[in-house]
Amino acid sequence: MSNSSTNILDIKNIEVRYDNVILALHDVSLKVPKGKVVALLGANGAGKSTTLKAVSTMLASERGKVTKGSIDYDGNSVEKQTPSQMVNLGMVQVLEGRRCFGHLTVEENIISGAYSRKLSKGDINQELEKIYTYFIRLKERRKSQAAFTSGGEQQMIAVARAMMAKPKMLLLDEPTMGLAPQLVAEIFNIVKELNKKEGVSILLAEQNTNVALKNSDYGYIIETGKVMLDGTAESLLSNEQVKELYLGISKKGRKNFRDVLKEESLNKKSN
Amino acid sequence: MVEELLFFMEVLVGGLLAGTMYSLVALGFVLIFKASATFNFSQGAMVFFSVLAFCGFMQDFNIPFVLAFILAALLMVVVGLCTERLVLRPLMNASEDTVLMATIGLGYVLEGLAQAAWGVEVRRLDLGIGDFPVPWIADNLKLFISALDIFAGLVAALMIIGLSLLFKFTKIGLGLRAVADDAGAASSIGIPLKHIMLLVWSAAGVVALVAGCMWGARAGVQFALVDLALKALPVLIIGGFSSIPGAIIGGLIIGATEKVLEVYIGPFFGGAIEGWAPYVLAIFFLLYRPEGLFGEKIIRRV
Repeated sequence: MSNSSTNILDIKNIEVRYDNVILALHDVSLKVPKGKVVALLGANGAGKSTTLKAVSTMLASERGKVTKGSIDYDGNSVEKQTPSQMVNLGMVQVLEGRRCFGHLTVEENIISGAYSRKLSKGDINQELEKIYTYFIRLKERRKSQAAFTSGGEQQMIAVARAMMAKPKMLLLDEPTMGLAPQLVAEIFNIVKELNKKEGVSILLAEQNTNVALKNSDYGYIIETGKVMLDGTAESLLSNEQVKELYLGISKKGRKNFRDVLKEESLNKKSN
Repeated sequence: MVEELLFFMEVLVGGLLAGTMYSLVALGFVLIFKASATFNFSQGAMVFFSVLAFCGFMQDFNIPFVLAFILAALLMVVVGLCTERLVLRPLMNASEDTVLMATIGLGYVLEGLAQAAWGVEVRRLDLGIGDFPVPWIADNLKLFISALDIFAGLVAALMIIGLSLLFKFTKIGLGLRAVADDAGAASSIGIPLKHIMLLVWSAAGVVALVAGCMWGARAGVQFALVDLALKALPVLIIGGFSSIPGAIIGGLIIGATEKVLEVYIGPFFGGAIEGWAPYVLAIFFLLYRPEGLFGEKIIRRV
């Protein structure tokens, strides 16, 4: 494919190791088209977070390294970049587990997202007001200490903080972890709105397959560091195997894609 | 009766003011602890290094007082720069314990460099403020309080106000507080850790210089200044490792209690209890209030 300009992110066959030994990703390739929402699905330990950190170059701080393959963001390799340079290039990661600055107020948290931008006080206030139109709940709690806000609010703070950096692309790592269904819906609504109105491309790692696919354009399913299946969100939602393994509509005792592939090859042999 | 009360007041006020000298040393620890969650064992060496450099500039090169102070402060910024570049950056992904050990090594390097450059003899530092009772206060209030103590108190107050304003209202202060809370999250939104580290180590270096000037003026600029850092430890345990007001209040408490205890209880122990009394106090704090008086509580949602 030569339409690299339409893909804001292009990951080709990456392998990632931690401490030079532990193989976390075997072979992951994925593309995020400009302005789209792409879901990266898989169970705990499948390699979703590792993939996102490889993209934002935050792997280094966990002694991880991309040992094979390439990652291109907006037409340039991310290999030599640092996390703060990636932020300057318009890519911001919202880390797993929200990671708000607990002792700062909600508003200070959000403002800290603009750190990499050279803005005047007036500009910051203008940006803040814009951000608050998406996160109405946060405006009411702007003076509270972030550590004392609810889980859903903390997730909103984390996303709002990332939006203050004016990203072209957001990497969201399990934004709905541990949240009540109503809040999950609220978070996804905001994410969709940001995608539509601000034109932010989004790569979303989720375990919550159903909701994630319903709010995405395209999806990848990874297992033990390998992409097992990919397709448009609709096709994945109606895929029998996905239904069985990730949406809990099970028929037999199969647990993952490896079992499915094994079974299929057995079937082929017997045919 | 009145005389006894006056004597008590004198001991107390003298102790409080002497405590601000501890506070100044502790302040440098707090700055670095906030940003990197590491106890900087080289802080004592930084005090010694900076004030010896200051004396060296004045006495060996005949540079005027103010210019020498500025030069010494700049030198501490350079030390901060080198520390960030040569020690902290290579250890960026190492554990906090590793960084802690590195600061011990850094301390030895600074001690060695200082003595290699400016010699080992004790130097006299004259700030133009004597370490003797202020006549006006002695005449009117009947209290004998050292001018140097009062000066140290004023300087400590200025430093705490300045640093607090810096942290609360500037962009880099916000960055520092963000890094103090969660360095990983801070770097994910583009706060460059190396700038913050550079700022913090330079600021700690300048604070060390100020503390060194006070102690140097009182006790002479000598190697023993390195061990002052040990006195900052109970100050920090009482005040809280991450709190600037805590460093000040902790210093005041240590200063006041050690003097009062020395005078009133010391004789029962054969004197010289101010050397260890602060540590006893620190142990009680560790047992009953480990985060200190002003330390940031570990906030846990339930």
